[in-house]
Amino acid sequence: MASLIGFYSLVFGICSSVAIIIFSIQNFRNPKKLNEKILILTFLQFFLVTISFLGLIISFVNSDFSNETVFNHSHTTKPLFYKISGSWGNHEGSLLLWLLVLTLFIFLFILKSGKQPTQYRILTLLFQEIIIIGFFIFLLKTSSPFNYIYPIPEEGLGLNPILQDPSLAIHPPILYFGYVGTSIIFSSSLSAMVVNYISKEWAKHIKVWVLISWIFLTLGILLGSIWAYYELGWGGFWFWDPVENVSLMPWFALTTLIHCILVLEKRLELTSWVIILSITTFTLSMSGTFLVRSGILNSVHTFANDPERGLFILIFLFTLIFLSLFVFFFFHKKETNNKSSFFLVSKETSIILNNWFMMYFLSVVLVGTTYPIFLDVISSDKISIGPPFYHKLIIPFLIPFLLAMTIGPRLKWIKSDLSDKFILIIFFIISLLLSLYIVKTLKIDFLINSILISFVFYLFFITLRDFFNKKYNNLSQNIAHFGFSLFLLSIIFNNILSSEVITNLKVGDTFKSEKLKIYFENITQKNEKNFESFVGEFVVENSQGDVFIMKPELRIYNQPNIATSEAYIRTSLFSDKFMTMNLVQNQEYFNVRYQIKPLMIWIWISVLMITLGGLMSIIKKNEN
Amino acid sequence: MKIRVIPIITTIFFIIIFILFYRGLENSNIYVPKTNINKQIPTFNAKLYNSSEEVSSSKIFKDNQFYLMNIWSSWCVPCRDEHGFLKELSDEKNLKLIGLNYKDNKESANKFLNELGNPYDIIFSDPKGIIAIDWGAYGVPETYLIKNKMIIKKTIGPLDKNSIMEIKEIIK
Amino acid sequence: MYGRKVKLRFFYILLILTTLVLTIFLILKSLEQNVIYFQSPSEIKNISEIDNKKLRVGGMVKKDSILINSEEINFIITDLKNEINVIYSGVVPNLFEEGKGVVAEGYLKDRNFFMAIKILAKHDENYMPPEVKAALEEK
Repeated sequence: MASLIGFYSLVFGICSSVAIIIFSIQNFRNPKKLNEKILILTFLQFFLVTISFLGLIISFVNSDFSNETVFNHSHTTKPLFYKISGSWGNHEGSLLLWLLVLTLFIFLFILKSGKQPTQYRILTLLFQEIIIIGFFIFLLKTSSPFNYIYPIPEEGLGLNPILQDPSLAIHPPILYFGYVGTSIIFSSSLSAMVVNYISKEWAKHIKVWVLISWIFLTLGILLGSIWAYYELGWGGFWFWDPVENVSLMPWFALTTLIHCILVLEKRLELTSWVIILSITTFTLSMSGTFLVRSGILNSVHTFANDPERGLFILIFLFTLIFLSLFVFFFFHKKETNNKSSFFLVSKETSIILNNWFMMYFLSVVLVGTTYPIFLDVISSDKISIGPPFYHKLIIPFLIPFLLAMTIGPRLKWIKSDLSDKFILIIFFIISLLLSLYIVKTLKIDFLINSILISFVFYLFFITLRDFFNKKYNNLSQNIAHFGFSLFLLSIIFNNILSSEVITNLKVGDTFKSEKLKIYFENITQKNEKNFESFVGEFVVENSQGDVFIMKPELRIYNQPNIATSEAYIRTSLFSDKFMTMNLVQNQEYFNVRYQIKPLMIWIWISVLMITLGGLMSIIKKNEN
Repeated sequence: MKIRVIPIITTIFFIIIFILFYRGLENSNIYVPKTNINKQIPTFNAKLYNSSEEVSSSKIFKDNQFYLMNIWSSWCVPCRDEHGFLKELSDEKNLKLIGLNYKDNKESANKFLNELGNPYDIIFSDPKGIIAIDWGAYGVPETYLIKNKMIIKKTIGPLDKNSIMEIKEIIK
Repeated sequence: MYGRKVKLRFFYILLILTTLVLTIFLILKSLEQNVIYFQSPSEIKNISEIDNKKLRVGGMVKKDSILINSEEINFIITDLKNEINVIYSGVVPNLFEEGKGVVAEGYLKDRNFFMAIKILAKHDENYMPPEVKAALEEK
């Protein structure tokens, strides 16, 4: 019943979108009538999709297996929380969620943009409706979440246990908020270009959307990484896997966009940058969906999928790309105040410089992600690209990037001298000495690493000092930049100081090395609702004589029948101790991995800090 | 002139990317084997579903007899849809139905058969999906009509009214 | 005045071009060094020389081939035509099982032995890495 309502409400939804388009085109020159009705129409559209989404959730909660999506992805023994999150943990449901967020955002956009010119608002709405209708057709045609099966099966197939996890349950919605936010930026910049409304006011108004999408995107990536850290059991949080890269690329573009919008807001410059970046960001988000959902990518995160859906997203994606190219080349006017106001030492220069670095990082990731696909097509060689590729190409260029990040914010617009040079130099010397000391004690032999460390410290100290500097009052920016330096520091030291032991143990065995003793004490079995759990008890003794117990868990889910290992993590401010255990088929040995990961928690904290910077920027804007 | 060059180059660039992605889709992770119509059936050894006895295919497929080999699985939704048609075909006297239980677990497969009935004369199990690859299967369900060890007709996806009419026509 | 502007523009274009060329060169060179090729056991049998490059080998874990002791895990990857012995000391993913698809990353010792440094996990039991599928298909 619920899924029937869901389906029809989806059909009515697409009708309402068509109605919006017809209505806005008919009354394009009649702003009064438009202003009255359009808000109600977009709300109606949002409302219908919400009903449809609720229909899906209710089908999941009631375990209504006459619905194909529910049958494929749910099971009666699953806890309620995962029944609900299961509704967007699959292809069909996640697309419906995309659509829901799309309609929500356009409703909010229309609600909040009342002061903007009507033509601009309506044109944005029209561009957005193209995307919305594309998703409607995609859903109804190739991936309806409301297919009916007969005869009705008694039991569902269950949700992939690896996805039965709290952080992964909220990861997709958060990430989608980010992705869909970029669609608003996309439509808005296209329509601003058409009606020639690229201005400081526009920048001010669109900045909030940029910041919101950026915050959600950052949080989404963070949640994904945290999940990978404790669920995949490899102890890492970023593997340069294509699926991870795909979410990182729009992040690079969006971060660059934030900085460009700031320049546009203050100085009405970099308009081409802003427009191209708005288009790129959204295109990259869409390509992300395409690459992940089509199965074209060869990644450990890919799920078996249907190429027909890939074809639809591909055509849809390129329609949007060509549409935006068309609009860009026909309507974009070059910056009017093209005075050669280019000075080597100014805020703009440092921002532009860092934009180019960001674009470089972006292209490195883009090449690394798509090159295997292209090579497979051209020469049918199957390859993959490992982390060293990214490290080699990104790390050296972080150094000038960091320098511009440190000095840039202290410069003035247009033309300026460096203020308080003395302090800058002092801090530089301090960080240089500090990193020399660290390099020596830790015996790092890689030259670039040691230079990088000193520059990260430089940014760290300078931003830290600026919290107490009254002259310098851009708090949100300072928090974000400080967070970034903290982030890099934690990653670097985490990489350098991590250590691990991998061994195969039977119950009662002891692993011994100079630094460590691991004793496998016992294993206990428990039966939970939808899985069997084996908890191992390990006594670990390190060289300082600390003794502690680690209890990694192995879960064997009943439906589908899959084993997952749950890492046992002891977190402290300085380091995480991490243990996973895995059973190798039919053998009495357990595969045990013990890791020490320094500063792990600071990686998460620093990313939260970066997002906090974005959040404060929104709040500050509202106060003004 | 200068302004025209950039749009054209960008457009061409994106068209090339589109073509590359499109071609990439074709050889993505969905396994696409060659079609095997009017070809000799592969010989294989497989375990029988009900006992764990291993049987060679050459002993099962005899000459001058129509066989319908159906690849199915309890987790496959379209298999449920076509099950009624298979039962209809099982009433045909001169047709033997052979099931290949593909990547399935026994418990749910049994449940499936108890729930919907068992139309098959013989069922093989193919827990790893290796035999299905030998047959050149695209996925489940898939159905082959066989005579004299040759595949006469192949249906990809679930059987429907038309395809069983055709099958009935051929075996008359 | 005009001459100076043209010069400046020329300078910019030159700058952009050289950075572009340099970047592309850098990326391509790095790609060349860090690409990991995928091979099936049969391809390895026919390999002409064994070098120190990182490789990925994929296929199925052969039945009854997993042997484990406290230091390492040994198993055989097969593409149903040829086989290769794998020696591995590290973490195995949850879906590592006999008869299931597997991709191992590491170095070749000789044509019959492969030292794996990583076994790749996958999240979906129905998903088979395209390479493994291709390797099994070539049979």
